[in-house]
Amino acid sequence: MNPASICLLLVSSASLAFSEEPPLRFNRDIRPILSEHCFACHGFDRHKRDSGLRLDQREEALKPARSGDRAIVPGHQELSTLVERILSSDPEEVMPPPKAHKPLKPEHKERLRRWITQGAPYEPHWAYTPLPKNPPELDPNNAIDHFIDAALKAKSMHPGAPAPANVLLRRLSLDLTGLPPSPDDLRSADTDPGLQESTERLLHSPRFGERWATWWLDAVRFADTVGFHGDQNQRIFPYRDYVIDAFNQNLPFDRFTLEQIAGDLLPEPTPTQRVASGFNRLSMMTREGGIQPKEYLAKYMSDRVRAVGSAWLGATIGCAECHDHKFDPITQKDFYALGAFFADIQQYALYHGVFLPNPDLKGWTDHHPFPPEIEVESPYRQRRLQRFTAELHQIAHTARLAHPEFADWSKATREFLRSQPGGWVFPHSVAESTQFKSQPDGSLALDTNAGSSLKFALRIPSSPIAALRIELLPSPEHQNRILRSGDPDAMHLLPSVRVRKADGTLSDPLAFRRGHASHADPTYFQGEHQPDISKGWKPAARHSAEPQSAAWCFQKPVCIADGDRLEVTIAEKRFAPARVRFSVSPLALWDPCTLPQADAAPEDPILWLGSTGADAVALARLLEAEQQMLECRNGKAFSLVSKSVEPAPVRVLPRGNWQDESGPLVLPATPGFLPPLDAAPEHLSRLELARWLTSKQNPVTPRAVMNRLWKQLFGTGLSAVLDDLGAQGEPPSHPELLDWLAAEFRDSGWDFRHMVRLMVRSNAYRRNAAPGSDQDPANRFLATQSPRRLEAEFVRDNALAIAGILDPEIGGPSVHVYFPESLYRDMEFPKRVFEPVADERQWRRGLYMHWQRTFLHPMLASFDAPNRDESACLRTQANTPQQALTLLNDPTFLEAARGFAQRLLQTASTDSDRIQAGFLTALCRPPTSTELERILNLLGAARSEYLAHEEDARALLKTGHLPAPDQVPAPEIAAWTTVCRVLLNLHETITRY
Amino acid sequence: MPTPLIARRTFLQNSVLGMGALALAALQRNGEGAPATPGLIQTPHVPPRAKRIIFLCMAGGPSHLETFDWKPELRRLDGEPFPESFTKGQQLAQLQGIPLKARGPFCDFAKHGQSGMEISALFPHLAKHADDLCVIRSMQTEQINHDTAHAFLNTGSILKGRPSLGSWLLYGLGSESENLPGFVVLTSTGKTGVQPISARQWSSGILPGQFQGIPLQNKGQAVHYLDNPAGVSPRLQRRILDDVRALNAENARRSRDPEAEVRIAQYEMAFKMQSSVPELTDLRSEPQSVLDAYGIREPGGFASNCLLARRLAQRGVRMIQLYHRGWDHHGGLEDGMKAAAQETDQATAALLHDLKQSGLLEDTLVVWGGEFGRTPMGQGSGRDHHILGFSLFLAGGGIRGGMTYGATDELGYRAVENPVHVHDLQATLLHLFGIDHLRLTTKFQGLDIRLTGVSHPKILTPLFA
Repeated sequence: MNPASICLLLVSSASLAFSEEPPLRFNRDIRPILSEHCFACHGFDRHKRDSGLRLDQREEALKPARSGDRAIVPGHQELSTLVERILSSDPEEVMPPPKAHKPLKPEHKERLRRWITQGAPYEPHWAYTPLPKNPPELDPNNAIDHFIDAALKAKSMHPGAPAPANVLLRRLSLDLTGLPPSPDDLRSADTDPGLQESTERLLHSPRFGERWATWWLDAVRFADTVGFHGDQNQRIFPYRDYVIDAFNQNLPFDRFTLEQIAGDLLPEPTPTQRVASGFNRLSMMTREGGIQPKEYLAKYMSDRVRAVGSAWLGATIGCAECHDHKFDPITQKDFYALGAFFADIQQYALYHGVFLPNPDLKGWTDHHPFPPEIEVESPYRQRRLQRFTAELHQIAHTARLAHPEFADWSKATREFLRSQPGGWVFPHSVAESTQFKSQPDGSLALDTNAGSSLKFALRIPSSPIAALRIELLPSPEHQNRILRSGDPDAMHLLPSVRVRKADGTLSDPLAFRRGHASHADPTYFQGEHQPDISKGWKPAARHSAEPQSAAWCFQKPVCIADGDRLEVTIAEKRFAPARVRFSVSPLALWDPCTLPQADAAPEDPILWLGSTGADAVALARLLEAEQQMLECRNGKAFSLVSKSVEPAPVRVLPRGNWQDESGPLVLPATPGFLPPLDAAPEHLSRLELARWLTSKQNPVTPRAVMNRLWKQLFGTGLSAVLDDLGAQGEPPSHPELLDWLAAEFRDSGWDFRHMVRLMVRSNAYRRNAAPGSDQDPANRFLATQSPRRLEAEFVRDNALAIAGILDPEIGGPSVHVYFPESLYRDMEFPKRVFEPVADERQWRRGLYMHWQRTFLHPMLASFDAPNRDESACLRTQANTPQQALTLLNDPTFLEAARGFAQRLLQTASTDSDRIQAGFLTALCRPPTSTELERILNLLGAARSEYLAHEEDARALLKTGHLPAPDQVPAPEIAAWTTVCRVLLNLHETITRY
Repeated sequence: MPTPLIARRTFLQNSVLGMGALALAALQRNGEGAPATPGLIQTPHVPPRAKRIIFLCMAGGPSHLETFDWKPELRRLDGEPFPESFTKGQQLAQLQGIPLKARGPFCDFAKHGQSGMEISALFPHLAKHADDLCVIRSMQTEQINHDTAHAFLNTGSILKGRPSLGSWLLYGLGSESENLPGFVVLTSTGKTGVQPISARQWSSGILPGQFQGIPLQNKGQAVHYLDNPAGVSPRLQRRILDDVRALNAENARRSRDPEAEVRIAQYEMAFKMQSSVPELTDLRSEPQSVLDAYGIREPGGFASNCLLARRLAQRGVRMIQLYHRGWDHHGGLEDGMKAAAQETDQATAALLHDLKQSGLLEDTLVVWGGEFGRTPMGQGSGRDHHILGFSLFLAGGGIRGGMTYGATDELGYRAVENPVHVHDLQATLLHLFGIDHLRLTTKFQGLDIRLTGVSHPKILTPLFA
């Protein structure tokens, strides 16, 4: 045999060997076995490494153990004790030991044996390897299909057929905006080959930001409440607005990262950047008396580490709180060094000023907010404020035109203001009392022992009275202060005003419309400051040496006749000014400081309506609009922010025990298993942490984020375990694709929309949805698309959009949608007083639903939304009877069905046409003939039932507050509502195919 | 899926009137013990002694010193400084930075039953069952605040997202109740010492949603969204369900989407709950003598919840958890304890009596206890939270009656004899259900999560009958 033929023979035998025994890939074939069965005792945790054997690193694994045994001798299974031990049938010998309950499967034993025979090659863990762009010349527009088609080909599988345009449009619309296409969208798709234009429209829809914010808010554990114990409200919605806006503006992801983690540390940060830093503040907080401050500070810190690990790194860093990570190269020191990045964030352990003295929170209890916060502009509230201001003027103006007596009032007012330029009138006198003495200036000097309930009977000129003013005046007998000295918590003053008729009868207390003060400290209710003093006035402690005044106007002016008295009662045990002075006004004034102008005020229809109540209907509407305006809080909102202070020292806590202070101090540092930041300063801050997360050298962040994005569009991540890219996770089905996507994300300037576009324009995305095949049961090779049940929020949004009642507003505070009356009954501190909103805000998108961590709304909970106690990157999907009950009987879905019915009744004419329209609206397809027939039958049955029982129809129409059209008989609306309930309950409706 | 689809479809074709009879048949079938929904564990790890559990959680943390742990020495020291040798270096809750004084038990104890078990005078009814009870006087927990201590007792962890005991049991053993949830929660509120309780306590956490506890409400609808909407007759609602099923079936055939099949089954289960839950909560079928035995004065109180617990147990519900929020007596201990005992004593005793009479106690485990105990030191007129020693009792379900286990020191401060950690209790409870706590796991973020964390608790075999 000549050398050439020997060579040939070698090649052929090698290729023969290849075909029989393909080389094993460590990351794909071996690491998962070692990680699951061996690393817990022979891995990364240096404190728990039995027999000194370490299998996670090749060099270590090849070393002889203490006993002299060699676990792995490459190419020699007969010398490798690993093989001997895993094959042993002796319970004392076999590995893993029986007590671990982790027996190896025969095929795994065989694979390990074969791997050692093949030379036991290792690979660095896939998620941590550098991320070159490979191959560099690939056209981004075809890249995804390039990898997927290659994998299909290797499996001899064939890509499935593309989805029809209507199916694809619905898919694109639900995936990109969380909303179904409108019938108009559907029609325009006919002239949009390949849906190119529709795709772009959806990518740039403002709904895009809301949809992706919903996704991101899980990762950052966004919630409206603090989570622990009393689970009080926190003020944070501007952060959600920021996230929505970031996706709509396509803020580069590295910038997005930087602003959330360290927005407050940027040079001259904008309010928006400070709001973004609220991310760090989304860890749970407590107001439970008796907590151990150090314990909770440790909890808050470790939550922040876990959140960054989860949202950016797809890593289970939390495991290293108590010990080195068992499966990944994360040390306990890494955990605390990451924690040290957050040590500068101002953080109270306990947000209670009574249980634990704290000068910053003196007197703070159940209703207070959770500082530090900043007040920022809220575009949503500003739009709303504008709207209601216009409405208010409109109401008053219209009423004035209908009331010619306005001219008389105007004239009288002009005269009154000429004689009383301030608009306020002092009482003639105040009935004598032992509690006070009248002074020449009209004020009353209170007796120091006057008690905690004071009653003043004011004799005033007979006239209509529309407002009351109280002035608190400092005087020498009280050290020239209006508050008890040294009591910054001061008083909370709410006068009760009644009319005592000359015959002795007493009116009900007059309801206040609104009130304002010259100086006031904020008062809070369920975490939010009161927009005015109509529920009580807390004079400003810092100005207690100055006179302070407050005015309240009444909801309805009251007429005082001769001999009547105005009785003002003040029941407040801390009410202790030296002097108080009352005045009243026939004008509906609510501001003690701004004087009504003698020329403008008499022409003001708002002042007229409030002062005379001349048009009761208009006045009621005016008060409603005014209340809405007040709730807009001047178009501003508070939001939790990170505030940097002197960093608290951070120690490694042995076994995570916060009581053990023996561990070493650590400084902020990025984890050792990933490349450090280039050109980092000596002392690292959150700025460097954020830059490191999205640095060119960090391969993990783009892999983790792209993997999660993939799941949103394809149903499963390329690595299915979204929240663990470590050794215990799953090696990606298409590692090269994931790497390419990650590199493209990074190299495109962290262009999120670009990546979404690449995915949804791929052929793989656009295939028909079908279950997996025998060859690929879980459809991981993507020969077809996978059906995906909508996430909780989109189940809601979809129904409301189909019904045509979705509130299109973007941003703003969370809302209480209809909830079961017993939902919050087991909450305390404080007992919650929540009401579902009764206007169009009821139909806001799911991401604006009030997110109560301890009692998540049952609709959200039933459809698997996490309560966001912790960062959650992988929503589980259950299919439960609670989901059925929700879609059937939750008033939101009933009202949506009625909205849908009313929409159909408006749009088409015959029953069949309407059913056609219904299917197109809900499902983007016409009904089949059997479906049509069935629904027609149902309609007929419902019609006869509701015609026979009209009271039932009327009862059904009462659900929700959506008005029903007058011109359609109630039984007809009820019958169509019945049809629409069926459509909204279909599995197809809540699933994107 | 619980039952073959064919059977369910046949079932659905029955009229509404037929529904009741069929539901009843299903109930009777459940008595035979085949799980309606199988769990993870096909063969028990150890011989099971219990099939279901009624956990009476005395939320807030009852004082062991006025219930089951008689400390004459503490009474002698009443008002004296508490010996520092006990308390040095230990955690305190609201007593942080306050001089510590001993507070003697305000009530007397007497020996009861053949076993001579010492029970405080606050529990005259329960005392009659002394020989059924197994009191653990040496409980210890790691968490000194309500929120986290409840989490620890239910989930074995203070990390969020860990499944609670009931979820673990459903996941492991499946559900035996075909038309009721397998894990039901009832809450009631006492007069004083009221603390919040979070839905987190009955969450399935990282386990899928079908294992979560379903709260049964005593106001409004018993289960959220259970009732047919106003203006919708049962006949029309049934009709809607039929059409939803038919259209879902057509979709399932067309799309071959397996979830559509599951959806059909879940709508059927929802419909069954619409009749089985009202039947369950309607106490009019109980004779007045039973209502009186429980001392039921109002719906939604602990007493009526106890009766509901018995009815749930009869219907094969796996885990029934009651919370009575009324034991956090930082102040007003004497009045508060008297009130809370009055609210719970008679009904608990009646429940034990009922279960015993019907034979259900054989395989129904009853647990009574709070998330922690109270300090032997006084706090004003009350007691603070305490984690180093407290009491709890078990009964039925393979437990030996008339025994006490473990003991605290002479002042009731620390468990000194046979201390029982919460994880020990959890491992023991699982054991009674035939489950090796090491082998009931679920994968989460690369870890095999279990109820007992990473600890190696002991099984309390001396407690077994």
